Amino acid sequence: MQDDVEELEVLEIGDLDFDQWNEYAIEQGWSDGMPLLPPTETAVARFTAVSRGDNEPFPPISPRRVIPTLDSLAANAVMAGCRPEYFPVVLAALRGVLEPDYNLHGSLATTHPCAPVIMVNGPLRKQLEINCSSNCFGQGTRANATIGRALELILLNIGGAKPGIMDRSTQGSPAKFSFCFGENEEESPWEPYHVRRGFSASDSVVTVMSGEPPHNINDHASFSAEGILTTISQSIAQPGSNLMYGKGPFMLVLGPEHAATLKRDGLSIGDIQQEVFQRARVHVSRVSKENQREYAGADRFPENDYYTVCPGPEDIHVAVAGGPGKHSAYIPSFGGTAVCSVRVSQPA
Amino acid sequence: MRIVNPSFGLMPPEAEQISTRPVDWVHDPIVLFSNSKPNARELLEGVRDKLGEIRNVDDVGFVYKDSASQPAPAAIIDQVSGKYRVALLALGD
Repeated sequence: MQDDVEELEVLEIGDLDFDQWNEYAIEQGWSDGMPLLPPTETAVARFTAVSRGDNEPFPPISPRRVIPTLDSLAANAVMAGCRPEYFPVVLAALRGVLEPDYNLHGSLATTHPCAPVIMVNGPLRKQLEINCSSNCFGQGTRANATIGRALELILLNIGGAKPGIMDRSTQGSPAKFSFCFGENEEESPWEPYHVRRGFSASDSVVTVMSGEPPHNINDHASFSAEGILTTISQSIAQPGSNLMYGKGPFMLVLGPEHAATLKRDGLSIGDIQQEVFQRARVHVSRVSKENQREYAGADRFPENDYYTVCPGPEDIHVAVAGGPGKHSAYIPSFGGTAVCSVRVSQPA
Repeated sequence: MRIVNPSFGLMPPEAEQISTRPVDWVHDPIVLFSNSKPNARELLEGVRDKLGEIRNVDDVGFVYKDSASQPAPAAIIDQVSGKYRVALLALGD
């Protein structure tokens, strides 16, 4: 085995069985704590074969600031347990987090527990069997579990976001293992999210945001838009959120039943954004004096004794996902970040 | 078994060499650079006091980012790199 592993693209690591391989990978710092599949040259070649045509170079990945190769990216997707056909989605997600407005370095180095939230729209959701319905944020679906994991491994191994060293998150979050889901376009009463962002309905699009795990919004009793909006807004208005600095976006992922009620009562996506922006505010009585001084030092002041939680209605990104049940989810962002959408480059 | 190295990456062509000339802490121009997190200013003021034991601190500069969560603007970095030999960063929190 070689000692100078960071300098070589291909490594001869000897005749290792699966357990020995995993011990070796853990020693190298390549694992997220769970077992990894070995990125043999043969396995990697199967992945790069499906990304032909995606020839746009990648910029350096923070915080290590090195430029990945297609092979090293594919090696991480192999280790994560992806199928080869997932790889273009992984690459699109990576391009999203590498957009300057995403602020990858800040989001990886922060003490905040943010991780890349990946939402997939378009035909590839079905082709790859990405879960958009019941338990879409949870376990049980290979595509959801491994696409998000592959991106995390890329940021760990190529980007160098080592926990406790360059990833300085105080407590971290389960979303740092994987957080990938699809929009439930079929049960959304509105246009798909990516179409509202200017893409074609036939495009497959990956949207990323540096965010927390989903915060559940339970409302079984309200059968009106007014009632549901009240519950959603009061669930979002939290004084302990990074959004209290008023700089960042957030995602509101409506369960299909809540979405149907809001649509039945005549609300468009724009209406929901406006209503939530106006209602999801934190009264000064819920904010400590020390924090009020901190915000004032950053030129941030309450309006009529209430703090807003984002710059404007357009910073509330509304999508529909999940299955039966009266639950929705609020996904706060890191704050100093943007929601970035990238079209998936299809094999040539 | 031959594997593709999952940590392999190429250094960007524009990557700059770091100067290796030793720092003259008594005479070199120094800037204190805050990341604008809580307590960063207090940390840097303590550093400034310590520097005062070995040098004149009237010419020790102080700069800060507009936002703790965003990278320092290129204009500030250019200004600092052009004017000072040493930047001491405070990562308060």
